Amino acid sequence: MGRAIVITSGKGGVGKSTSTANLGTALAMLGRAVVVVDADVGLRNLDIIMGLESRVVYTSMDVIEGTCDIEKALVKDRRVENLRLLAASQKNNKTDIQAKQMKELCLELKDMFDYVLIDSPAGIEQGFQNASVGADEALIVTTPEVAAVRDADRIIGLLQSMEINDMNLVINRLSPNMVKAGDMMNQQDIIDILSIKLIGVIPEDQEMVVSTNRGLPLTHDRRSIAGDSFKRIARRLEGEELPIPTFKPESWFGSLFDKLFNWG
Amino acid sequence: MFQRLMRALSREPKSKNVAKSRLKLILVQDRLGVDEELMKTLQVELTDLLSRYFELKPDYVEVDLLREADSMALVANIPIFGMKTRRPVQV
Repeated sequence: MGRAIVITSGKGGVGKSTSTANLGTALAMLGRAVVVVDADVGLRNLDIIMGLESRVVYTSMDVIEGTCDIEKALVKDRRVENLRLLAASQKNNKTDIQAKQMKELCLELKDMFDYVLIDSPAGIEQGFQNASVGADEALIVTTPEVAAVRDADRIIGLLQSMEINDMNLVINRLSPNMVKAGDMMNQQDIIDILSIKLIGVIPEDQEMVVSTNRGLPLTHDRRSIAGDSFKRIARRLEGEELPIPTFKPESWFGSLFDKLFNWG
Repeated sequence: MFQRLMRALSREPKSKNVAKSRLKLILVQDRLGVDEELMKTLQVELTDLLSRYFELKPDYVEVDLLREADSMALVANIPIFGMKTRRPVQV
């Protein structure tokens, strides 16, 4: 029986889908059988971030309605073994799927995979409820901003009321330079406020935009620090005790170098 | 760069500390389900009660919920402008 983990945040745009794609890739690289499920019915985008949009034929809606076999609806990622995507229907609404159906779907997937990563839509309405109902645990993604942390706190409360108590925090887009200047909350500030367990910090990385443009999760890039951070989260999910590094600001020389070469 | 230098030189609190204290307050209200109206009512009733003993100016009364680490505190700032009676009224 695999683990079903919902990736959620409350606020939109903090990096839920990117985290799902990268963690899925990282776990598959560790040799685990992984399925990433897009639960954002009507606004699907996990397929795009993973670069699999051209190969999506069937969606979770088709599986629920019985139009197609679950095996047939799973899109295989060709870049890494054992990674599958189950896309969301773009034609339907979030209310077209019932919590009970979603729960059954998760159970079925847990039988087939070691990890079922569910990419939750933003918000606290039925879309979020459906994404969470079949999950055993949750990864809360937030950024070091007041609005994102507030929404994360709300989501933590809602997950507790759904009796999902195994929660881990991912802090995304932390800028070491701004933290050093005292213009961004650091990881300790955020843990103080949310008081849940931190499982990883992803430093701000412009390469993330590039990787989304290309549809190739950053985790594939061996030199990427952000990609490496996702790999570390994957290993922590696997039970390894890994310290969470504090990121140092880039050197004065390094940032000058960057500016010179990004001039045009 | 210039902005950053100005900020570093100014005596304003670091913006991350502003963010943190704003967040703490927001979350107290979120978690308790306390809204503006309830705080206003509390302020009016507190002022009424204390007015039996002291001379107060309602406009100067401040009542706030604050969070320190794991506890919450009701903090009131109530300037007194005089005593009403020598002893509390016996009922």
